Amino acid sequence: MAFLSELTGKIVADANGERVGRLEDVIANLRGDLPHPQIVALVVKRGGVPLLIPLADVVVLLAPAIALGKRIEDVASYHPTDHDLYLVRDVLDKQIIDTNGMRVVRVNDLELARVNSHFYIANVDIGGLGLMRRLGLAKPAEKVANRLGRKLTPGIISWDAVELLPGDQSLRLKVSSDRIADLHPADLAEIISDLSRSESSKLLDTLDVETLADTLEEVEPDFQASLVEDMSDERVADLLEEMAPDEAADLLAELPDERSQELLNLMEQDEAADVRKLLTYSENSAGGIMTTEFVAVRPDLTAEQAIAYLRKMGSEVETINYVYATDRDDRLVGVFSLQDLVLAHPRTPVAHFMHERIVTLRPSDSQDQAAQAIAKYNLLAVPVVDEEGKIQGIVTADDALDKIIPTAWKKRLPRMYR
Amino acid sequence: MTLAQRIRPLRIRLLLLLAVVGPGIITANVDNDAGGITTYSVAGAHYGYSLLWMMPLVALALIIVQEMSARLGVVSGKGLADLIRERLGVRLTAIIIAILLFANLANTVSEFAGVAASMEIFGVTKYLSVPIAAVVVWLLMVKGSYKTVERIFLVASAVYLAYVASGLLARPPWDEVARSFVTPTFKLDAGFVTIFVTIIGTTIAPWMQFYQQSSIVDKGLKISDYAYERLDVVVGSLFAVVVAAFITIACAATLYANGVHIESAKDAALALGPLAGRYASALFALGLLNASVFSAAILPLSTAYVVCEAFGWEAGVDRGMKEAPIFFTVYTALIVLGAAVILLPIKSLVQTMMASQTLNGVLLPVILIVMLELINNRRLMGRFVNGRAFNALAWAIVVLLILLTVILIVVSVFPGLLG
Repeated sequence: MAFLSELTGKIVADANGERVGRLEDVIANLRGDLPHPQIVALVVKRGGVPLLIPLADVVVLLAPAIALGKRIEDVASYHPTDHDLYLVRDVLDKQIIDTNGMRVVRVNDLELARVNSHFYIANVDIGGLGLMRRLGLAKPAEKVANRLGRKLTPGIISWDAVELLPGDQSLRLKVSSDRIADLHPADLAEIISDLSRSESSKLLDTLDVETLADTLEEVEPDFQASLVEDMSDERVADLLEEMAPDEAADLLAELPDERSQELLNLMEQDEAADVRKLLTYSENSAGGIMTTEFVAVRPDLTAEQAIAYLRKMGSEVETINYVYATDRDDRLVGVFSLQDLVLAHPRTPVAHFMHERIVTLRPSDSQDQAAQAIAKYNLLAVPVVDEEGKIQGIVTADDALDKIIPTAWKKRLPRMYR
Repeated sequence: MTLAQRIRPLRIRLLLLLAVVGPGIITANVDNDAGGITTYSVAGAHYGYSLLWMMPLVALALIIVQEMSARLGVVSGKGLADLIRERLGVRLTAIIIAILLFANLANTVSEFAGVAASMEIFGVTKYLSVPIAAVVVWLLMVKGSYKTVERIFLVASAVYLAYVASGLLARPPWDEVARSFVTPTFKLDAGFVTIFVTIIGTTIAPWMQFYQQSSIVDKGLKISDYAYERLDVVVGSLFAVVVAAFITIACAATLYANGVHIESAKDAALALGPLAGRYASALFALGLLNASVFSAAILPLSTAYVVCEAFGWEAGVDRGMKEAPIFFTVYTALIVLGAAVILLPIKSLVQTMMASQTLNGVLLPVILIVMLELINNRRLMGRFVNGRAFNALAWAIVVLLILLTVILIVVSVFPGLLG
């Protein structure tokens, strides 16, 4: 095991004992199948010119001086590929994402490991001890710690939990975005709030639309607006279609009018229509926090037909916990829960077990009224109906309570000077 | 979105908030802190109009330095400490941060000196005003909102206009003033060289480069905003130096003309006599207090952010002591130490304020060299690297500053050596 900081600056000599230069950088190969990148070449500075020497030509790496197995004239230069990473230039001292700790940290040092005759990047040192080592103060720091009776724990994370920030490297790297995409959207949002704007933009660009939508829904609308500012209109339109209509409406409300109009025009007709409708309601009203993605069926449907319908539509709605029964004119006539549905005899029409005394809200009702209704009747959602009794949307419990309970956990615009 | 699409709402905002939106303008206002006001006052009171020729040159230097820091921030999207760490390694970062901590401690001391001096005009002893100010400043940032504090400060900065009014009302001999702007005077005695370096140090303080770049990154300004940001920097710098010049002129016209030496803030307050008559002291005190308190708030804050940024430690006032221990320690320590030093028996608060600005001038070349190293890095800046003329100018400033520091040391240690 050796640290990168211990290697750099070492003298490199060839088979004749002739000094070639000093080790300036180390190149590792990022093939996707290996969790730990393998060292493939060294960058040696000789008279101001960097020489790329393949690792195969190195006989001894972990010694006071690095020895090559050939004469320097016989060494064929290494040609860097698209999957190569320059450790000092691109990783050391840079910020990376720790996908285990869900945070953004700075690389203080890299730990290399030898397996057989190959060298790999084992771990990343992000702790204070790594910092001390770089400053040449590791031994004194340990002495001081011993005196104080405390142990200095190395802050080490394994490379396979590390995700590099995209962009900055001049070589186009195939950054495996799988690790990032696997993170829970709330954690992704946390990481993004730790990054600078340009870095978060680049990170978001690597996400697919679904993950992007989920992540954005975890941050405040003003933060969302700043994140989508640099995205192309097409991508934002896709994003808006993917997001729940009420979330999309919140985001659009934060964007400048001109752009909102353009985006609405780019969206699919019915999606856009839903969002447009929601935008007409004031932000703080039930209409402003409701979603149009709910399940509605005819009262004459049987339980098993209703379940079949849920299977078809279930993935496109906010919740299937409550199913609403509407007549031909979309007027709300009843509601039943998933529990009611499953427990009923399959061939019973839903009209037989649906609840007809329904708690409803008007679109103009306040958020407080919505929250009160939910709390009082222990509901998961409340339907919103207009004067004619036609259902317009539903307010889910989390959305209603969201506005009342301070959303400290929802990520806000990362600002130092807030 | 194009700049044109964004400028429309921006223009409206600009109109509403006058010129106080951009980081460049805010930084320039912060430039006129306790040390600044004192230095310019002393320059006018002790040397009359003879130092005015420096102002246009210092303005040029300020614009160059601030523009570089703005460009670094806009193009890289990162703070200065972040860039130093990423590009120039840990050792250099540690050295720079150590220098910055030292300089910023001195500057914080100077701000509290300003608090003490201004409150003494109202007859409040420093043993009361400074601890209260320290506590208020600490609470302001931890419990309050930076944005609100910034707005109050900027509105209160209107007091600087009092200097412009005073300068005009004092009816200085304008032909002499005009001539002073173009006639260089330079003496090789310790006092003169010191005030020379001090003026530069107070106008182009090292901590301002870090603060401005952080502000720019904070605001999320991008390359497409660059033209707007450049304008913001130039206007801000010019505003700062115009105010500085007027402070000097007002003091020269009132104090120098009557042979008054500035020993304490009360003497400096007399410069506002033409405008405010017997309220001159109160007006001056309020202006100085405002400048001191605000700077005493943001200086430790900015330093704490810079330190944590460089070494990857958690930072943020909303994080609390447990989550961000180093941030809070640095922030609190600077305030406590800054205030504590002032509570020691000090002969002259004015001298204290100026000493810290001299230190700024001495340490500035180090930061400038680092910035030049970064801004000429093509991998970092792309096509926004310095042009040849720009580099020549910037390096000229560095060389000049180092030369001045050397002269300063020589004439201080060996007076009379250079005739």
